[in-house]
Amino acid sequence: MNNELIGGLHRRDFMKLGAMGVGGVSASGWMNVLAGHAAETQAKHKSCILLYMSGGPSHKDTFDLKPDSDGAGEFKPIATNVSGIQISEHFPKFSKWMHKSALLRGMSTGEGAHARASYFLHTGYKEGQGGLTYPSLGAIASMETGNPLLPIPNFVTINGGRSYGSGYLGSKHQPLNIADASKGVANLGALVGDNQFNSRVSLLNEMEKAFLKDYSSEAGVAHQTTYQRAVTMMKSAQAKAFDISGEPSNLRSEYGSGKFGEGCLLARRLIETGVRFVEVNLGGWDTHENNFERVKSLSAQVDAGMSTLISDLNQRGLLDSTLIVWMGDFGRTPKINQRGTKPGRDHYPKAWTSVMVGGGIKGGQVIGKTDKQGATVEERPINTIDFMSTACSVLGIDYTKQVQTPIGRPIRIVEKGANPIKELLA
Amino acid sequence: MLNRKSIASKLLALALGFAIIEIADAATPETKDTKPQTNQEKKLVKTSAKPIALKPLIESKVLSAIIDDEISKKIKEEKVTPSAKSTDAEFQRRAYLDIIGRIPTSSETTSFLENTTPDKRVKLVDDLLADDEFGKHMADIWQSLLLPRISDNRRVQTEPLTLWLEKHFNVNTGWDQITKELLTSTGPQDENGSITYFISNASVDKMTDSVSKLFLGVQLQCAQCHNHPFVDWKQNDYWGLAAFFMKVQAKPPGGKDTSSPTVTEGKGLNKNKKTLPEAAKFVPATFLASGEATLNTAEPYRPVLANWLTSKTNPFFSKAMVNRVWAQYFGKGLVDPIDDMHDGNPATHPELLEALATQFSASNFDLKFLIRSICNSETYQRSSKPNASNKETDIALLARMPIKNMTPEQLFDSLTTVLGAASNADKKLGKVKAAKNQPKGARAQFVTFFLPEEGTSALSYETGIPQILRLMNSPQMNTTIIIQRLVDKNTDTKTAIEKVYLSVLNRMPTDEESSRMTNFLSQATDKNKGLGDMLWVLLNTSEFTLNH
Repeated sequence: MNNELIGGLHRRDFMKLGAMGVGGVSASGWMNVLAGHAAETQAKHKSCILLYMSGGPSHKDTFDLKPDSDGAGEFKPIATNVSGIQISEHFPKFSKWMHKSALLRGMSTGEGAHARASYFLHTGYKEGQGGLTYPSLGAIASMETGNPLLPIPNFVTINGGRSYGSGYLGSKHQPLNIADASKGVANLGALVGDNQFNSRVSLLNEMEKAFLKDYSSEAGVAHQTTYQRAVTMMKSAQAKAFDISGEPSNLRSEYGSGKFGEGCLLARRLIETGVRFVEVNLGGWDTHENNFERVKSLSAQVDAGMSTLISDLNQRGLLDSTLIVWMGDFGRTPKINQRGTKPGRDHYPKAWTSVMVGGGIKGGQVIGKTDKQGATVEERPINTIDFMSTACSVLGIDYTKQVQTPIGRPIRIVEKGANPIKELLA
Repeated sequence: MLNRKSIASKLLALALGFAIIEIADAATPETKDTKPQTNQEKKLVKTSAKPIALKPLIESKVLSAIIDDEISKKIKEEKVTPSAKSTDAEFQRRAYLDIIGRIPTSSETTSFLENTTPDKRVKLVDDLLADDEFGKHMADIWQSLLLPRISDNRRVQTEPLTLWLEKHFNVNTGWDQITKELLTSTGPQDENGSITYFISNASVDKMTDSVSKLFLGVQLQCAQCHNHPFVDWKQNDYWGLAAFFMKVQAKPPGGKDTSSPTVTEGKGLNKNKKTLPEAAKFVPATFLASGEATLNTAEPYRPVLANWLTSKTNPFFSKAMVNRVWAQYFGKGLVDPIDDMHDGNPATHPELLEALATQFSASNFDLKFLIRSICNSETYQRSSKPNASNKETDIALLARMPIKNMTPEQLFDSLTTVLGAASNADKKLGKVKAAKNQPKGARAQFVTFFLPEEGTSALSYETGIPQILRLMNSPQMNTTIIIQRLVDKNTDTKTAIEKVYLSVLNRMPTDEESSRMTNFLSQATDKNKGLGDMLWVLLNTSEFTLNH
């Protein structure tokens, strides 16, 4: 059975095929349909790299500085290449890309506990709402915009952190997790040589066919399909994208030598290969204590990784088709707390900033505005579903679409009432 | 067998008394109302809270017969031919996986297949229920239900609860007693493992969600913030139940206080806004759909809830557990989803559910009695191999045994059963440095890695590509080495093939398979390498991974 064929079909369709016994049928008819579908998908949709800042970065020390406020902090604002827009002094490289970027300073998202906030921002739904497990944006993008012919998953996460998976969308849209970008996919290589591996797989196929003939079942078909996808991936040329070791050393050092920089570099390779959604995690932003030293060091990693990612994508002509999103769990308190000798800032979901770059958005703008203290949103508040609907719109996903859960419950991709940021959509 | 049909109604009557008539009464009206309601209609599905009848206990084999009669009745109505009785090999593997959570070893397989005693299946069920691995398997299942895997719980030690559960399941403590202890648990974790439940659901709303789902079989969580859209659960139902937990104080692990995590029930109400959701309402404590509770503010509240909840006549408790156990054995509850029991979502076999609940209650909530009755039924012992007549029929008809995916624990324990020396594999895997906040020990890490999304059906295979890469390519699957431990190098080809089949698939190869494998081995450069390949292949088949 042709493995690539399976990738493009909805699981139900595939099961129908399996039940009809058309496994061995010539793939050409389906291939044409799928190739056509893939071409259409490529043209209409965009890719996405989510740089997720676990812990919640302090907005007042990154992209919404308030030098004259209470608790202004130590950092100085610097100018960017767009007049009138200032950001923290610790993003000198990023400041040159403001014309391609938008700062969303009106984020106001309600959830103030890490896990719940992160779940909400990844899925657009509150944890536990309606007794369902919701898919995260990456899984939605995989379903709606993923290239069905790609032999590697359309949703990849790098550096751990929780991305909240595919929820009710099922295993096909689960992310492939890469714990360490420098090591690539765990267990991707066979334990034995090519010939021996091929002979094992062909015997396995025989046994699977025989078992399914006698014991036809949903689980058995899914087992066979997933194995075929895994084997296809192992053998595919695209899987080489997971190996960053061949990248030039000067580029690697521009990205930064840490895990985050390596993750951004791997993200670019994957997008180039056709992966639709890559999430790169950077933790450590939960700066209740020692805020300034920590934010400074984290900002340096972001500045190197994110700015190099932007310029690298731009050089390859991929920036306008790839949306980069920078965000975290929430912002941090406008005032500095009194903890210990090196104080910090606490959780603050009421007003904070996220950043969007590339993806064909209208760059060089600030959307929304906080008050003098950076404490409340005064203009264009953006709640979680506004944010989700905006990201979907940029990526070419109809966020009003209803998806059926496995038990046939229709659920909208983004809940009713969302107000996407029209000013961003070019 | 022949007269079974004629005594069907008598059997049911035995289990239910007059309940049959009551059911008929309850089932007749409002068949229209079982359709989902739109908001405009404002007609909510009423949820009856009919108490479970108090009836004398019947013998386990009579209950097995009732199961078969009720299931057969519907199969006949649908004019479907059920699948044949399972082979001994099918039955043994299934019973091992379902009752003790792993496949049999090759010697256990051989000894069962060669045993010619007529009642060997009954004996096997009894032996497995008496095995300590029974408690371990049940504890695996209940630990993951009781302790949500959420980031808040990353510091919670799960072992004290696992051991506590294992002990109670093995000595067959009544489910009412286990539940009562869980619900009223107090003290430090190092003295009482059951408090781990509260530590892991450390807020009033989490506890309310969990108790209603696990012990009452209803999903109340929607009603936390608004009245339920299709079922008549009101916000007051939710907060009326939540009221019983308002005095619980949990000291979770972590923080500067390094003493054992502790649960106490203080005198004062826990009205701390921080620990309650915005939607919190303060209403009198209410037994779900069963009236207000009389509480003495000076006394703990939880025992009052526990006494009502675990009583033999509680309308929810017995049904909820019977439905869960049924789903554990058949892959799907008589009511599905398993914890969404209300009149708008009726059971596939309502009379059977009623009979099982009545008898589970009559048995003082004896889990081994319930499981024994299920496993000795013809329904459970049917082959999962469909025939021409039942291939396309709804699996809930149980005209064939549903095929289930293994849980991560079953998969790990089955793999180590084959790979031999669980401890060896464990040691090897244990060397992998546990990442921050990751569980320690090979088994726990494996389980975390293979854990499906909550709510994944046991009947679907949702394992992802990274997990499959691990099953194919991780160093622990180095079958070229492992085969040397499994099969002595002087063994002849035929015996070697049989040994691998008995170890992995727990059956003898068919003649066709035997000659196919002999041919395969003859093409290998050396026999050991060929056998290693064969072992790798069998371990990666659906037949190994699925409980069929």
